[in-house]
Amino acid sequence: MNERAGERGADPGPPGGDAFLTVTDLHAGYGEARVLHGVNLTVGRGEICAILGPNGAGKTTLLRALSGMVRVRGAVRLDGADLTRRPPDAVARRGVAHVPEGRGTFMPLTVEENLRLGAFVRRGRGEVEADLERIHGYFPVLRERLRQPAGSLSGGEQQMLAIGRALMLRPRLLLLDEPSLGLAPIVTRELFRIVQTINEQERTTVVVVEQNAHLALDVAGRAHVLETGRIVLSGSAERIRADEQVAQSYLGYRV
Amino acid sequence: MTTGPTEVTDKPAPAAAPARGGILARVTGAGWRRPAVAVLLVLACYAPFQLVPFRVFQLTMVLVYAVALLGLNLLVGHAGQISLGHGAFMAVGAYGAAIMLDRWDVPHLVTLPAAAALAFVLGLGLGLPAVRLRGLYLALVTLAIAIFLVPLLKRFESVTGGSMGLTLAKPAPPAWTGLAEDQWLYFLALAVTVTAFLLAHGLLRSRVGRALHAVRDNETAAEVMGVRLPFYKRLAFAWSAMFAGAAGCVYTWVIGFVSPDSFAVTLSITLLAGLVVGGLGSFAGPLLGGLFVMFVPGISQDINDAAPGVIFGLLIIVVMYVAPTGLAGLAGRLARSTKRILRKE
Ligand SMILES: Nc1ncnc2c1ncn2[C@@H]1O[C@H](COP(=O)(O)OP(=O)(O)OP(=O)(O)O)[C@@H](O)[C@H]1O
Ligand SMILES: [Mg+2]
Repeated sequence: MNERAGERGADPGPPGGDAFLTVTDLHAGYGEARVLHGVNLTVGRGEICAILGPNGAGKTTLLRALSGMVRVRGAVRLDGADLTRRPPDAVARRGVAHVPEGRGTFMPLTVEENLRLGAFVRRGRGEVEADLERIHGYFPVLRERLRQPAGSLSGGEQQMLAIGRALMLRPRLLLLDEPSLGLAPIVTRELFRIVQTINEQERTTVVVVEQNAHLALDVAGRAHVLETGRIVLSGSAERIRADEQVAQSYLGYRV
Repeated sequence: MTTGPTEVTDKPAPAAAPARGGILARVTGAGWRRPAVAVLLVLACYAPFQLVPFRVFQLTMVLVYAVALLGLNLLVGHAGQISLGHGAFMAVGAYGAAIMLDRWDVPHLVTLPAAAALAFVLGLGLGLPAVRLRGLYLALVTLAIAIFLVPLLKRFESVTGGSMGLTLAKPAPPAWTGLAEDQWLYFLALAVTVTAFLLAHGLLRSRVGRALHAVRDNETAAEVMGVRLPFYKRLAFAWSAMFAGAAGCVYTWVIGFVSPDSFAVTLSITLLAGLVVGGLGSFAGPLLGGLFVMFVPGISQDINDAAPGVIFGLLIIVVMYVAPTGLAGLAGRLARSTKRILRKE
């Protein structure tokens, strides 16, 4: 089975077959503009999965489709439950946290207010307090800035805030849309290290869309390449890294 | 740094606990708000005994506009939507109360919750198309509501009195108060205003208030957090209409007369201008805006009788140039720099 993993177009699923997220023949778009043309994808429980692809391929649209923000045709299943055509709040309640492209900071609100909004669909105040502490553990810088307007944070800090805010949901699935956007390489590396820690400590499944293919493939177990609305390549991170075309298009060298 | 439950949760905190640091606190500079509100309230209770009836009437109208602007502030300042038809909801409250008084002799105090509820329901209804629209489109549709209203009121003459309007009895001061009519009306308006401010303040501090701010500041992020955009936008419309309806009802009590031309499009536009000049999203904005709506058109008339609109427009431009965040923002800035100067000495 793993032998076919590097084949173009095929998605044999994660090794072990414990699929957590299953996307079947997913079509999505904006009005007349069709963007996804039948995406098939499986993500294993507890794995980090990277989505690579050129600008305009539909990566953001794919994440938006997963969290119910665009109309879709096809099927999205999370841990056996059908999420297809559920509104975003229902998806969030199911434990899917989405860090949107461009971070989605609530600029005039304080860092703390931003974090608390992450737990908007959750009940139980005591737990929220505990989660704030937990998130300060991952991102100590947020604790120092708690009362500041989030708009006064640097880009990297805002990305940390966005991820911290997503964690307030206690997600089972974390969707990250280009966390490296506009950040210095060293900050990005730190961010990915933290994502890896979160993935290990909390068993959170992560789907990360990333332009920085090197970094993404470093932390990801498996990766998928999306081109013009279709998955054209799936496999383990090593396999993808070794693919000649990926190397040329996304890693900037020839194998 | 602790995150103890009293510090930040919405559980009823002891009065001495620091208020949750929301938008309101930030815009007005938090610390001096409580004493300022106390002083203001004392002055507000003292004023009608010191002023001539006409001035008392003017202050009463300031309060009426402040309640309407409180609603507009929820919608525009806190939920980030726009309305050029807020005056229409004031008209709904005013005419609702007037018709109740005129046809069924409903007691004055009953007309208030009824008018507010009526406006709330209409706000929910008109919020339905409104939540699908944004920016200019929303502005246009709300403007259309305001434009539509005057001919509508004139058309159903048998109920609304047509262009002639309706004349009604004002609430009479109970003998035990020993108050004159203008003073009594003033205190009624003051009670409604205080209640409205408490209500709005409570709303904004609740989970719903946080949702509104999220919608205003980033719709995409709000949506992925699980904030249902259409629901909260509609709710914001309904509340804003409710406050306008209550204001309209008090308007009817105070003036004792309603006519379609009092609620023309200019009222809606003046209200929005008043709110922006007063300070969007701020605590004091609606009050300052109320002063603006009440006095500035008159002042413009005094300055140049021939073209009051020109002076009115110029005044708005000047204020926005000097204080881009509105008068409330300007007051906050002045207070902060005064504090700095005092500290240096
Ligand atoms: N709101 C929208 N309305 C209409 N078309 C859209 C919208 N958002 C995206 N598109 C179109 O969908 C296509 C895919 O966009 P998407 O944002 O999903 O790409 P992406 O892979 O995330 O690109 P990038 O790497 O630049 O972020 C593009 O052709 C884009 O023009
Ligand atoms: Mg994108």
